[in-house]
Amino acid sequence: MSENYPKLDLNIFVTIKQVPKAMKTGADGLMDRSGKSMMNPHCTHALEEALSLRDRVGGQITVVSMGPPNAQKSLNEALRKGADRAYLLSDRKLAGSDTWATAEALATLIKFILKENNETLDVLYGGLQTVDGDTAQVPAQIASRLKMSQVTYVESVKVLDDKHLEVRRIIEGGYQRLKVPYPTTLSVTETANVPRGPSLTASMSAVDKEVIIYNIDQIGLPEKYAGLAGSPTVVSRVKNVVIDRGPVQLFNEGDTAKLVSDMLTAVNTKEENN
Amino acid sequence: MSYPEKDSKIPFVDLRDGARGIMVWAPLDGDKISEAAFELIGEANRQKSKLDEDSQKIIAVLIGKEVDKHAQELIHYGADIVYVIEDDRLEEYLTLPFVTSLIDVINEAKPEIALFAASTLGRDLAPRIAAKMNCGLSADCTEFDIGYYANRKRNQRFKKAFKMIRPSFGESKLATIIGPFNYPQMATARPGVFRKLDKDSSRTGEVIKFQPKWQEGDFAVELIETVRSSDSLDLTKADIIVAGGFGLGKEGFDMLNELVAAIRANGQNVELGASRAAVDAGFVEYKHQIGQTGKTVRPAIYIAVAISGAVQHIAGMKESAKIIAINHDPSANIFLSSDFGIVNDYQEVLPELIKQVKAGYKFDLD
Repeated sequence: MSENYPKLDLNIFVTIKQVPKAMKTGADGLMDRSGKSMMNPHCTHALEEALSLRDRVGGQITVVSMGPPNAQKSLNEALRKGADRAYLLSDRKLAGSDTWATAEALATLIKFILKENNETLDVLYGGLQTVDGDTAQVPAQIASRLKMSQVTYVESVKVLDDKHLEVRRIIEGGYQRLKVPYPTTLSVTETANVPRGPSLTASMSAVDKEVIIYNIDQIGLPEKYAGLAGSPTVVSRVKNVVIDRGPVQLFNEGDTAKLVSDMLTAVNTKEENN
Repeated sequence: MSYPEKDSKIPFVDLRDGARGIMVWAPLDGDKISEAAFELIGEANRQKSKLDEDSQKIIAVLIGKEVDKHAQELIHYGADIVYVIEDDRLEEYLTLPFVTSLIDVINEAKPEIALFAASTLGRDLAPRIAAKMNCGLSADCTEFDIGYYANRKRNQRFKKAFKMIRPSFGESKLATIIGPFNYPQMATARPGVFRKLDKDSSRTGEVIKFQPKWQEGDFAVELIETVRSSDSLDLTKADIIVAGGFGLGKEGFDMLNELVAAIRANGQNVELGASRAAVDAGFVEYKHQIGQTGKTVRPAIYIAVAISGAVQHIAGMKESAKIIAINHDPSANIFLSSDFGIVNDYQEVLPELIKQVKAGYKFDLD
């Protein structure tokens, strides 16, 4: 029944983060987010998984993000690729959030949207990790807040029946196949798919859609759980990585035989410790 | 011990509420204990002397089907107490029952620090535990310390805070993360970074059989199958690693394998490595992957052929004693982390390298 999918009309959510194109620290020692930005690469794969699932069984895709007002850019990109709704949680009080506080904020936003619209969630997709934080912690922490099962490192998702997905996750040296009931949270690897570009029809209908922006008061997130105040960890120090390896010794004189033999001789030459 | 004068008005606090000791989750790798568990127990032993005397104990947690037999080995590598949780349904890792198991052990043993390997399993498990216990969690640490920490904003000072140090900003910086406000202070640590202790079969410890209280829905996700590549390969034990990148293509890897065979024929301990891009492209199996979700290695000689040097790959091999790079692109990042380099096409260099190794060249490993 490979192509004969049931019509499930799933309620699918995708978390999206906008990240800087270049990683550098600002004057305050935190990530400098003033330069050019993009949708986090792993999130583009999460969105693709969501679109592909909706293509197969039908449903609605909601993209959610947390960040400064310009994070609308990535949410609009998701709308042009075919997402149905987009929400941004934007508030200065969220600055300095660690993964616990980020998950708390996003889970509160998702619960708020579900309650406002009298909905239940079927599948929440997230990217495995972000290139600026690189922790891979947030999807599992949102799943915990929403009391759902989770599968991380997801490479492929098949629809088994109206109650279950079959999910393949990467492990060291191999993979696992799991039978997962709805609702669930899936964090997606970069090898899962090739993300589609914006489509003409989706772009046309995206014109009528607007990103809905909330602050923490509007969704009922207490200030004590937001941002730095709500984070159980703090960055106490950032230092540069010192590369203690000297400059590379390049071999470029003579023919290949000489290059190779000169290099091999140098590799076996003991360094004089002074 | 003296503390900075400028902090003298900030009161010292101890928020541990009885939490003591360092806990390490000891995952299995098929039918044996994962090397990462021994590494973390080794590091926990190096850190423990900085803690209060009543906190200098290492608690290992072993979960699975008929895993009792592995408990003594954990003690021989430095654990003082081993909690053993046995259940036939837990032959392989499943998120929710493992979360419940560890939370129940944490509530029982009350460690002040909890460590997990930053593997595909540890990075799945630890964040869920941290979320549920409202604890901080620092990911992919490469260094730990315990010591003085002052927080002006909160007006709190700590004598023995856990310092979790991790690469950030695309591996260009090291950030120290602190979270002595909630316990346990949790971290995942990169496999292959820390060293295990020498095995001491005379070491003794306590083994505690433990029964978690399963929660509703813990077994709702069913495992259909686990597939691991059959022949194992321990890249971390090789003296020499010859690694290839995406640019080699399938044919290039044939040539690289020829180099590996030639070095091996000289009696040297050598293995084939690969970048993530080469593995993703299907040129070689995953077990050869270095960096990212692959291995962290530190051989005497690392030969990188047609590897551009993505930060995650560099993180996986930068501790190698000597690094040789062969790449046609002089601006390739790999040259910044190498000792010796040839800027040329691998098709030119490899045949000559193979020839000279076959003629009897041996790499000095000291």
